[in-house]
Amino acid sequence: MANPSTKGSKSGFVARRQWWGLFFVLPTVVFFLVFFLYPMITGIYYSFTDFTLLKPPTWVGLQNYQDLVKDRLFLTSIGVTLGFVLGSTLPVWIVSLLAALLFYQKFPARELLKLLFFSPVLPSLIVVAIVWRILLHPNGILTSVIRLVLHVPEINWLDSPTLSPLSMILINAWTIIPFYMLIWLAGLTGIPQELRDAARVDGATFSQSFLRVELPLLGPTAVFIAAISTINAFQAFTLQYAISPNRGGPIDVNTTMGLLIWKYGFQYYRMGDAATVSVILFAIIMIVTIIQLALSRGDQYSLN
Amino acid sequence: MHKQLTPVLLFCIALIVAVIFFFPLFFMVSSSFKAENEIFAAPPHWLPHEFQGLRQYQTGFQAIPLVRFFFNSTLMASIDVAVTVFFSAMAGYGFAKFNFRGRRWMFYFVLATIAVPFQILIVPLFVQMRRFGWDDTYAGLIVPGIMNAFGVLMMRQFAYGIPDELLDAARIDGAGEPRIFWQVVFPLLSSASASLAIIIFLFSWNNFLWPLIVIRNELYQTLPVGLTVFTQPHTTQPQWAVAMAVSTLATLPVAVLFLFFQRYFVEGLVLSGLKG
Repeated sequence: MANPSTKGSKSGFVARRQWWGLFFVLPTVVFFLVFFLYPMITGIYYSFTDFTLLKPPTWVGLQNYQDLVKDRLFLTSIGVTLGFVLGSTLPVWIVSLLAALLFYQKFPARELLKLLFFSPVLPSLIVVAIVWRILLHPNGILTSVIRLVLHVPEINWLDSPTLSPLSMILINAWTIIPFYMLIWLAGLTGIPQELRDAARVDGATFSQSFLRVELPLLGPTAVFIAAISTINAFQAFTLQYAISPNRGGPIDVNTTMGLLIWKYGFQYYRMGDAATVSVILFAIIMIVTIIQLALSRGDQYSLN
Repeated sequence: MHKQLTPVLLFCIALIVAVIFFFPLFFMVSSSFKAENEIFAAPPHWLPHEFQGLRQYQTGFQAIPLVRFFFNSTLMASIDVAVTVFFSAMAGYGFAKFNFRGRRWMFYFVLATIAVPFQILIVPLFVQMRRFGWDDTYAGLIVPGIMNAFGVLMMRQFAYGIPDELLDAARIDGAGEPRIFWQVVFPLLSSASASLAIIIFLFSWNNFLWPLIVIRNELYQTLPVGLTVFTQPHTTQPQWAVAMAVSTLATLPVAVLFLFFQRYFVEGLVLSGLKG
């Protein structure tokens, strides 16, 4: 604890001073009470009500939850979300690690190449969506090149029910891999050079040194990236909203739970249903995160 | 010989990787100078064959109220940055250096706000905005996103590093607590503030979900939402080259910021673990 001790006789002055801390944190706490806790509680309440913007919420108990379990679109959206999460976690985790290992080495023009590699982090997801719409257009530049390589007559990335979820995963990977690479790189840089040198002196090859020295020390970074990539992927919304035909199509293969919240809430104004999907999505994210943290704790233990 | 070959090999691999990842943005900028019929030309035009100058940019300004969108995005981002940095520094300092009753619970509460994705809150928050009469206003657009718990965490971490002796010396000199914060603590947090400011700018500038929901009136729309007209070309005559010009403009402020403040940019991103 960095705080001065508050015991002793001359402590009245010091104790009174501590209240200034409350003064400093109060604006933030009040803000989160009004714009976080209050909507959080009302959101849970709305999930138990029949509520459209035209009529005030009326209590219906678990009705919304029971309806959703039978709701085809909702069940589809769970599958769509899980598919996107699977494609956007482990592959991204591995590729970003490989990229970090690459840019951690010494070679000519490294900083410039890293700069170029990093560029997808900058544009907003809407800009990303517009650019990739053109690249993946049936006559787009990327499709043309791929068609040439694979010798296929036509590829319709975004309108095909099988290819378009894959496109979402690829585009998302493109924007997010450089960002996770950066976090891996920060983790790698934090490992003292002496440890690596010691391993080399002991005759370890590069792969041995990586597996035995770097990887265990990267443990916290690995867990961190696994956790945030999962949480981010569960919230998938913007790409699906902006790229897929009819906002989530074709035939709803891109309707993630995040998109469904928007659809129910702001397209159909079914606020009760939208709130229910929100609560369920939140519960899923919480459960998955807790499982991940529990597993990772076991992992670190076994490494010792 | 082996020792010399490795850097060259690594360079080649890195070059390929970098080109793949940089290509979409290169294509965006290059296409913003192309004629419309060049975008889907076969064989592809890597660079404009009929260089258009700033024509597509001019058309962009005529097609959508771009100046207004820029103004709104700038307004939102600047207010977000100023408020988040100032109040995060205050709260971070309060949590790090004072021992008042309820401190621990308040800190856990702030921490908990990070664990809840914003998406979960959009429905009740939108209803709340309507109650306040804030839907379709600058207040509704800006206020709900104006604080960020991650900023508090970051500032708290940095505030721990400030020596207590320094604060006590200022107290002995008779400085009041608000003055100590403003004249001693806040300047010491300037490096952290720079990282936080840049990262909040990036989030705010690229923020999409909340502006999409709370704003209907074009007058208050921000750039990302304003650009959505180009994502659904079935509704209007597609103007892909114009879309590329407008996208380039929207990305420019972030790119400039990145080039000039790379260190703070990267530090902020790593510390936040978030990308908007």
